Amino acid sequence: MRRRAFAALLALVLNVACNGGLEPIPVCAKGFVGICGTVTFQGTEPDSTQAVYIVAYHTFPHSRDSLFTFQPSLLLLQKLPLDSSAAFYAVSLPAGRYEWVVAVWVKQGFTLENADSTLRETGYYRDPADASQPGVVNVSAQTEGIDFVIDFGRMHRPCSYYTPPCP
Amino acid sequence: MLTSLAVAPIGAEAQQTAVVRGTVRDAATGQALEDARVGAQGSAHTVATDAAGRYTLTGIAAGQVVVRVQRFGYRAAADTLTLAPGDSVAADFALRPSALHMEPVVVTAGKRSQLLDQVVTSVALVQDSELARRAVNTVDEAVDKAPGVQFLNGQVNIRGSTGYVQGLGARVLLLVDGVPANQGDRGGINWDMLPVDQVERVEIVKGAGSALYGSAALGGVVNLITRDIPTGLHARVRTTGGYYANPPDTIWRFRDYIGAQEGLDVTGSYGGDAVRASLTAGGRHSDGYREQDRSDYWEVVGKGEWLPSATSHLHLIGSWASNQYQAPLLWCEHGQCDDRGQSYQPFMIDRSQAGAHTRSDKGLFAATLEHTVSPRESWLARGSWLRTDFTDFRSPTTDFGVANRYGAEMRGLVRPTAGRVVTVGAEGALSDVTSNIFHDHGQDEFAAYAESEQRLGSARMTAGARVDYIAVDGGGLSAVVSPRVGLVLPGAGGTLFWRVSAGRGFRAPSLAEQFVETALGPFTVAPNPSLGPETAWSLEVGNAAQFGTMVRTDAALFWTEASDLIEPTIQLTVDPATGATTQQIQFQNLQRARLAGLDVALYAFPFTPHLSTSLAYTLLYTREFAHDTVPAQPLAFRPRHLLTLAADYAWGGFNLGADFRYTSRFERVELYPPTDPQVAPKVLDLRAGYQRDALSVRLLVANALNYLYNLAPQTLAPVRTVTMTLTWTY
Repeated sequence: MRRRAFAALLALVLNVACNGGLEPIPVCAKGFVGICGTVTFQGTEPDSTQAVYIVAYHTFPHSRDSLFTFQPSLLLLQKLPLDSSAAFYAVSLPAGRYEWVVAVWVKQGFTLENADSTLRETGYYRDPADASQPGVVNVSAQTEGIDFVIDFGRMHRPCSYYTPPCP
Repeated sequence: MLTSLAVAPIGAEAQQTAVVRGTVRDAATGQALEDARVGAQGSAHTVATDAAGRYTLTGIAAGQVVVRVQRFGYRAAADTLTLAPGDSVAADFALRPSALHMEPVVVTAGKRSQLLDQVVTSVALVQDSELARRAVNTVDEAVDKAPGVQFLNGQVNIRGSTGYVQGLGARVLLLVDGVPANQGDRGGINWDMLPVDQVERVEIVKGAGSALYGSAALGGVVNLITRDIPTGLHARVRTTGGYYANPPDTIWRFRDYIGAQEGLDVTGSYGGDAVRASLTAGGRHSDGYREQDRSDYWEVVGKGEWLPSATSHLHLIGSWASNQYQAPLLWCEHGQCDDRGQSYQPFMIDRSQAGAHTRSDKGLFAATLEHTVSPRESWLARGSWLRTDFTDFRSPTTDFGVANRYGAEMRGLVRPTAGRVVTVGAEGALSDVTSNIFHDHGQDEFAAYAESEQRLGSARMTAGARVDYIAVDGGGLSAVVSPRVGLVLPGAGGTLFWRVSAGRGFRAPSLAEQFVETALGPFTVAPNPSLGPETAWSLEVGNAAQFGTMVRTDAALFWTEASDLIEPTIQLTVDPATGATTQQIQFQNLQRARLAGLDVALYAFPFTPHLSTSLAYTLLYTREFAHDTVPAQPLAFRPRHLLTLAADYAWGGFNLGADFRYTSRFERVELYPPTDPQVAPKVLDLRAGYQRDALSVRLLVANALNYLYNLAPQTLAPVRTVTMTLTWTY
């Protein structure tokens, strides 16, 4: 009787102890609305780097006025970790269609006034069918696999995409 | 210790002395027993046997005396000797193993030696044999698995006393050989003040202990009792090495090597007839089990004893420890590090905290003089100095605090009539702090206490009180009175004991709680100089019983009604000019709170005397009563259920064992989002050991199932850690 009770207690302990515990919870888990993916870094990160963010535009910004129309809002931006050769990211976005998912390099000393000279496009998600064009992303729930390259050796000022382009 | 080890005087008092030498062995195996305590009537001290089981009692008054020997796990033995002046008499003892030991001696509950079953409050003991068997490496690990005790990221809770306040304001008083050792500024406890190898046993007194110990003993008292210095020349080397398991999920990997830990403690001692001294030096290094978790620790501990006469005994202890450790702080949540698409990374830190580290130095010096005036009267005088010095190197500021606590105590023990013991004393402590976050402040405490125990037939009744006067920065004294009454009632047959106690405890707010001014994440922490002492009335009904030779139980119902409990509160403040809202943390006296529950411990030897098992369960109900706009709610960071199971099998020099600890989820956390991942900890520790003569080898696999959990918010608890400990004693 005592042996059975002891064995039952031992089995209970092992059963209780062998399940549960903290487990990974992907940001892109069910319920998340936004884009997730991996960015791969190329080139040398400039010493003047303040941060790199991933943002998305519903429509491609062709003018200075539309430069700050991206999602998510400025307050919700999250810095990309730059201390490895690649980084996972997850950006919460409102559901909708996005024409440009872009990584923005921010120089130290950035202000809204000097944005033209302190921001750079440093890589963007490309159309899988035509890598020369930006890829369109439709966000309805978690949208994974939005992978692209961030190349610190090929950065472009915002005005490169304006009409007319940079003087 | 003397009063319990020595029996009533038999012979006439003699002016000249004799020496008693001998050995203490296991009656069954003949193996020498180390650390057996040997004492004689008329001597102001006891001695511990060395690794060969040898002891020497010097300065024993000639005449007829009783020499008594005790050791945990064995039946006590005694011998009556007739000593002529100048004699050197041999007295060897063979102790019979006793699976159930109903009469260990404790010194903390009543500020004097008492048999455990004569104490009015619950006391948990952690003996040196258990410390060795469990192969723990730190003092807090040694205390952690005691019934009803739980650590939250280094903060001790006895029956849910403290919760989690980032180390501030412990409601548990730490003693080192009876000397108060809580920090002078934060009121918290530095568990690394002593190396665990210096600790012979730990006594944990549960419930309000303020009637004898004053402030901080609101929830209980933990007394670390250091090793006696054996006679002769001895050495002890303890070395540890081990490693931490890597995260079980590759997405949580944070390094490409295996984290290790190693440590070494070396002790040398010499015990002569009149003078004894020991010196321990050592250090530890740990890579830690998570990112930014390295630590280096160094310590030196010296002990001295002087026995100028057979009735006087001077103890000196000095310790200094320095810990330089990286501060892992909170784990990384999404966006705060290379989260790899995870909503949190428990092994990584928020990058904004990269490089944070702390240097923490602490020193304790204490001198205690004990004098036995007669078999009926003795006194003790004590002085101590505790210094703590920390510097937190963090961005954007570096915080520091230097605190001193100077303490003194005079205590007398009188046995005016048969069956009556009176303890009286006075105590004082001056604390000061210099800090950029606590600023410069001082606190003075003065107290007087008295407690009397009267034997009434087979029952023992205790009544006493303490009055404390506290002044901050030289201001007016505020007085707190802490009475306590208790009753111990043996049942028929001497195998059942009831105990009842009721008393009032209090804790004066620490200087840090009153004056802290800093930032904690998004919160500002505001000072509250008007913070007052918290008080609590506690009632406990306990029962200890022995059922045959197989089972022993100890159970207690406890009920604490606390007033003005000091807890951190979050307030929203609105700037009337800008309308901006800020969140502020401030320590405040809550109106009322209740902590009640059941504490049960069961010890059994179910199949064979070689197998010992234990079960400890604490049911805890906490309630903060409604006040202002705050509804009634559970107190934060208290688990409802705490269960500890243990089993050990010993055969010859081999030992195998396991501990299992289950803690239910907190019903309420504060300051951190309730959405943070939290699981109920279920931790299994496995151990094995072998001892042969002077050498022992212990293997500990802590958290063997690598169960990942957290107790403090966003703070990963230790993962599986494999440690090998070798101890050699000369």
